[in-house]
Amino acid sequence: MLTQFGATAESLSKASTMMFRIGTDAHLYDDPDDVSIAPLLDSKFESEKCEALKRLLALIAQGFDISNYFPQVVKNVATQSLEVKKLVYLYLLHYAEKRPNEALLSINYFQKDLGDPNPLVRAWALRTMAGIRLHAIASLVLVAVGKCARDPSVYVRKCAAIALPKLHDLRLEEHTAAIEEIVGMLLKDNSPGVVGAAASAFASICPNNFSLIGRNYKRLCEILPDVEEWGQIVLIGILLRYAIAKHGLVRESLMLSFEDLEIQSQEKDDPESSHLTVRKPFDGASLDICTEIADIVARSYLEGPDKYLARLGHVNQDSLGFDGSCITSATSNDDVKILLQCTSPLLWSYNSAVVLAAAGVHWIMAPKEDIRKIVKPLIFLLRSSGSSKYVVLCNIQVFAKAMPSLFSPYYEDFFISSSDSYRTKTLKLEILSTIATKTSISSIFLEFQDHVRDPDRRFAADTVAAIGLCAQKLPDVSNTCLEALLYLALSESSNNAVALMGEEEILLVQVVKSIMAIIKQDPHSHERVIVHLVRSLDSMSAPAARAMVIWMLGEYCNIGVLTSKMIPTIFKYLAHRFHSESVETKLQIVNACVKVLLRAKVEDISELRLAISYVLELAKYDLNYDVRDRARVLKNFLSHCKGFNYLEEADYRTEFNDLTYVFAEYIFGGTKKVPSESFSYRFYLPGSLSQIVLHAAPGYEPLPEPCSFADDETGHSPTNVHNDHESNEIDDSDDISGSLDEENTSDYSSESVSGEGGDSYIASDSGEDEEAGTLIHLSDDAPDSGDHDRVSVKNTSSGLMDAGELMSKRALESWLNENSDSGQNSSNLSQVQRSLARISIKDIGQLVKPKSYTLLDPTNGNGLSVIYRFSSEVSKVSKELACIHVSFSNHSEEPMCNIFLAEEKPNPSPDSSEKSGSPSESVLVSHDKEATLIPMEEIDRLNPGQPADRVLQVRFEHHLLPLKLVLSCDGRKQQVKLRPDIGYFIKPLPMDIESFLKKESQLPGMFENIRRCTFSEHLNQQNDKDEPPQKDIFLMICEKLALKMLSNANLHLVSVDMPVAANLDDLSGISLRLSGEILNNSVPCLVTLTLKGTCAEPLEVSVKINCEETVFGLNLLNRIVNFLAEPPR
Amino acid sequence: MLQCIFLLSDSGEVLLEKQLTGHRVDRAICDWFWDQILTQGESLKLVPVIASPTHYLFQVVREGITFLACTQVEMPPLMAIEFLCRVADVLSNYLDGLNEDVIKDNFVIVYELLDEMIDNGFPLTTEPNILREMIAPPNIVSKVLSVVTGSTSNVSNTLPGATASCVPWRKTDLKHATNEVYVDLVEEMDATINSFVLPGFSVFLSLFLHYSGQLCSGSPVCIDGHPKQLANVFYLYSLSCSDLSPLLILLLLRDGNLVKCEIYGEVEVNSNLSGLPDLTLSFANPLIFNDVRFHPCVRLRPWEANQILSFVPPDGQFTLMSYRVKKLKSTPIYVKPQFTSDSGTCRVSVLVGIRNDPGKSIDNIAVQFKLPPCVKSSDLSSNYGSVNVLADKTCSWTIGRMPKDKAPSMSGTLVLESGMDRLHVFPTFKVGFRIMGVALSGLKIDKLDLKNPLSRPHKGFRALTKGGEFEVRS
Repeated sequence: MLTQFGATAESLSKASTMMFRIGTDAHLYDDPDDVSIAPLLDSKFESEKCEALKRLLALIAQGFDISNYFPQVVKNVATQSLEVKKLVYLYLLHYAEKRPNEALLSINYFQKDLGDPNPLVRAWALRTMAGIRLHAIASLVLVAVGKCARDPSVYVRKCAAIALPKLHDLRLEEHTAAIEEIVGMLLKDNSPGVVGAAASAFASICPNNFSLIGRNYKRLCEILPDVEEWGQIVLIGILLRYAIAKHGLVRESLMLSFEDLEIQSQEKDDPESSHLTVRKPFDGASLDICTEIADIVARSYLEGPDKYLARLGHVNQDSLGFDGSCITSATSNDDVKILLQCTSPLLWSYNSAVVLAAAGVHWIMAPKEDIRKIVKPLIFLLRSSGSSKYVVLCNIQVFAKAMPSLFSPYYEDFFISSSDSYRTKTLKLEILSTIATKTSISSIFLEFQDHVRDPDRRFAADTVAAIGLCAQKLPDVSNTCLEALLYLALSESSNNAVALMGEEEILLVQVVKSIMAIIKQDPHSHERVIVHLVRSLDSMSAPAARAMVIWMLGEYCNIGVLTSKMIPTIFKYLAHRFHSESVETKLQIVNACVKVLLRAKVEDISELRLAISYVLELAKYDLNYDVRDRARVLKNFLSHCKGFNYLEEADYRTEFNDLTYVFAEYIFGGTKKVPSESFSYRFYLPGSLSQIVLHAAPGYEPLPEPCSFADDETGHSPTNVHNDHESNEIDDSDDISGSLDEENTSDYSSESVSGEGGDSYIASDSGEDEEAGTLIHLSDDAPDSGDHDRVSVKNTSSGLMDAGELMSKRALESWLNENSDSGQNSSNLSQVQRSLARISIKDIGQLVKPKSYTLLDPTNGNGLSVIYRFSSEVSKVSKELACIHVSFSNHSEEPMCNIFLAEEKPNPSPDSSEKSGSPSESVLVSHDKEATLIPMEEIDRLNPGQPADRVLQVRFEHHLLPLKLVLSCDGRKQQVKLRPDIGYFIKPLPMDIESFLKKESQLPGMFENIRRCTFSEHLNQQNDKDEPPQKDIFLMICEKLALKMLSNANLHLVSVDMPVAANLDDLSGISLRLSGEILNNSVPCLVTLTLKGTCAEPLEVSVKINCEETVFGLNLLNRIVNFLAEPPR
Repeated sequence: MLQCIFLLSDSGEVLLEKQLTGHRVDRAICDWFWDQILTQGESLKLVPVIASPTHYLFQVVREGITFLACTQVEMPPLMAIEFLCRVADVLSNYLDGLNEDVIKDNFVIVYELLDEMIDNGFPLTTEPNILREMIAPPNIVSKVLSVVTGSTSNVSNTLPGATASCVPWRKTDLKHATNEVYVDLVEEMDATINSFVLPGFSVFLSLFLHYSGQLCSGSPVCIDGHPKQLANVFYLYSLSCSDLSPLLILLLLRDGNLVKCEIYGEVEVNSNLSGLPDLTLSFANPLIFNDVRFHPCVRLRPWEANQILSFVPPDGQFTLMSYRVKKLKSTPIYVKPQFTSDSGTCRVSVLVGIRNDPGKSIDNIAVQFKLPPCVKSSDLSSNYGSVNVLADKTCSWTIGRMPKDKAPSMSGTLVLESGMDRLHVFPTFKVGFRIMGVALSGLKIDKLDLKNPLSRPHKGFRALTKGGEFEVRS
């Protein structure tokens, strides 16, 4: 760095920081791509790989998209170094969703790691495998999770629990039951750590499947204090919901206080009970509950505020509608008792979220007298970090509103400290004004006086508003408050005169507003205050404040002697100043004119008339049209009703009944109802996000309907199913960003063939008699010796995939034991006699027409057209080569020479960003190795119209990306793309049905994959030909299907079975078995097709693949499904 | 559940992002967030939960680093905040403090930690002791090693045994050469003090007089308070008693000037014990606790029954419990600010002294306050310690140890903005101090017992009181 002696200070300081940062990863963060990363990734040294991965991580941290390194990174997943592994996992998780195909490459390594003796490795593998969220491997992950859920290591089980929501996120309907079963199993786990994680899985997967909780309720309650803190938060919520759904609300709790009140008021006929803030002494204790708010809170918790508020419009007051059965008692119900008992020590937790969650349970479930318990812990939370302080205050605010007495002894804890944020301050103010009582108001008020002088004027204004609220709430202190406010108003207005600061205005306006609110309650006793305000009008500059003072003047112009005496003078003053007022004030002046006139005594009118008519006259010609219009309207009123300008005083009574007067009276004179405080509060469950943001966040659910969960330990009740359904709906709507491959989900199915196997016969194809006219031979034999084996196999393998039974103990056991005990299963099943008919199709090979593709069409190739098709031949050179027939034909007028097809020169940068056509197909090997090509013979000359055929042998390293070739013809070179077909990456593996079934039995679980598709080719056939099928329709369809399979994939047809007992038209149960082996590694690959449906409609085909190369199997499966669904050529 | 965590520097740069679930969160959300900060001012940094158009954001700001977490669905907000705080704690513990550079320098460790701490948006391992076993903190040895050898792994090869045990906060087989356990009481005093009679108060009273409009003689009442206040009270009380609301009398009777004074304390334990020790700690006066909060290792039943702390400690430093003692009667020091303003200037004088001698020396005394916005310039000096006025009008006066011979005082003048005649808003003084060896709450540890002693451990106790939210209003 210091290349010359004259180093600048800057570079010196850089050097010194370099010294400090030596040994850290600083240089990697600062210049992540100052070296070429790709070669490092391919390095054989772990340290270099590690560095490369760190550089990639730095790029991720800085927000660069580096997903193009994906294939190279994925390769490194096989590493032994844990650090490299961790870094690879970090990278994988970040990009897997973007590059699903390449991500599939890592699956085999995960599966290997899942068997690692080191629990950390297992846990990491599981976490990452589940974290990459691909539909294609969902069933693999499910099996892995199921296996890990029974792992001896607590940590791995915990990770399994956390992995479940990842699976659930993929929305695989057919796996739901299996996932829920694992959740249930983990909830029963002995280790509290696992239970906590299982609780979180439960909450996100099936929050309403209360039967899972019901079985373990007591144990969950008891284990609760030992569960780790994060699990506690979730578990508390689950237990609360369960208790409510099972037992309903608690009679003594706050939630039902309104019911109490109703009963009481019915008894006592207490008229006060309808008043807003009823203070009801409870059992002699000084519990006062704002029952009306408590009622709203309760309803909001149960129904969600939006629904509740919407309903409030038409149905005004109905009780929560509980009959006695939905109410329980905290003293007699053990479940409720134990819940309260086990949550109360959590109020001492270090984690504020746990404390709040526990407090929420007590708030909802505990008897009113016991709620007190939550107060101190809640207040103690205020001493924790500033962020949580705000959230806690938001919740305390609700508690305090519903039950002010809880917090009123602790008012000092809500005193504001200067370090609080503005929002915290306002919340504290609001709480203080809610919980103020006669005894505490003095101290609170003194605090308020301090805050009024706070440098933050906004806050000072809020304080003033709070003073106003207190005064309205406690009429005893309203006088004092008013005096103080008046003093403030006077001093503030004088301040304003000195320094015209925009900020000061808000305080003054708020002061006047608060005064106005207090006066409204009892105008007659506050005449003096009005007079004072009016007198200080001259020094008030804030237009809003002036407008309010003038409103008060007009409104209360005749409440006392003093005011009515002042009025003429004031109007003179207003008339004088009218031109310089703001619009807001002008409007109020005009209004006040009318009010004064309407209420004035007859003898005063003459005195007022001049000033008022002058004001109105001014207003009529005001610049602002609002003012103008109003003045004109009002003048019109007045001219009619009181003979204001032109008529004599004596006449005004004759006009008394004039309509306009009635209007004026209605508009201005009507007894102003103090608008009752509208309950626009929205209450959400304590501790919820919705309560903080005051709208229902997606996924927010109110409490379950009390007693909606009735049945005990007996699986799903109808309600339950309904709930599940609902929650699914909600989940769906929540899914904002959406999952990428949603459409893939439905294609997958775990339903297996076993259902059909049950009523079918098994038969050996012992005879292969030739039968004229048909290629298919029907035989009906008794089960042979291979039977036992087959049946057992079928049961083990399909039992695993059965939707309902997927994770049943036995299946799991057998999977875990690697099927070593499959014989045991067979023994108890061997007596089941099954038989089915076997169809043999002869000579089908001759009918196979491999699909041909165009490499070059004549328009692009100057008349040369090249067509290729994959051939089922096996190359003699190497078993890894696929044979392709290439047909050349000359459509031009002139002969062509030197036609040759060769490999393109290696492309320096493989275009890795190229997207694959079908998302479910994948890469086998990373694509920086070029495909090799056995060169074809050169075609020297091709005359017009002459065809020529050549065989090309190609090794595709990559069965997805097209192979780029160069076609030279007459010296011109043209790039063409040869698209690989995974169907020809295998070669037929001849075997008989027994060995097929045996092989199949060795490849269960994660090596087995099933997809479903529809096959409709037979329909077209029928329609097209329109002739009576001379062949048996069954045979025809089997033939079609077999042909389709064999024309598109290089497989060997092992057998075609059909149930003998089948109906005429019902094709269900027919199964085709095909086998093949993968070209380059000779791994066998078994395909089973099972049909379902009738002849007249599209068939449902479920395709099952058993293959050790899971990824290859999956891709082949996808390919098969694709071509089966393809319309016929 | 959380979807993403971002770490932002104090200039809004995204230091790193960690996606947690399949629903990736775009970085654009950080731009949105920073725009909001820029438009709405720094005060938004104090808002922990923000609803953006697309996500709900939770933020925790620590030493200039903003920890931002996003979610789109309902979840307990405190869980998110608490978790972010935990992340901040762990990171600053690992990296010896937090700042932009230290995070960039150790971003790999930050990623590895985050990956262990949270999985699929749900907290996984947050216990610092276990994390330390899984991922080695950067230390000088590993730094040197990595320079010399080119690589060291900071990722542990084995799963910490504690994850499987029933005491997940403790390593299973610990061996220490010296068996020792230290208990520190660290207390913070929160107090709010009103140092002067409210200027408004007297006017308030005189207004009262004005309205009541009549004078009558009453018997003077002796009230403890400031002379100026007293004068008014006498005057007031001499008025018609009928007009005097009970409130006003109460106002005047407030004891002293102490609005609030309480102790927030923590029992910090540093345990270096071998094996699986079972400790009990009892207090001489457990009834003074107002509220308590415990480390997960504390068994709650013995506490409920006898107020005894029974626990198996984690290894090393941890906070065993925190508590609060309310309604203390006095503070160890006083701060008396005085403002007298006259025609555009304001004379300030602040006195600091010992009120109730705690018996030990008081040091680290610092007084800080923010000059009101209407102050144009200031000229402040002190007879002891140093005074600094920062650009954002924060004035800090560092005194250090309380001198024996003189009472520290600061004085000077403030020049108000033109047009202002006098100061009508008054700053709040924040006071910091430290007293070693004293727990001002009066809490006393009775004894500390080790149930299964292999060898008698060395035990030590200490106490310390600091100024917490200690505020003096002028």
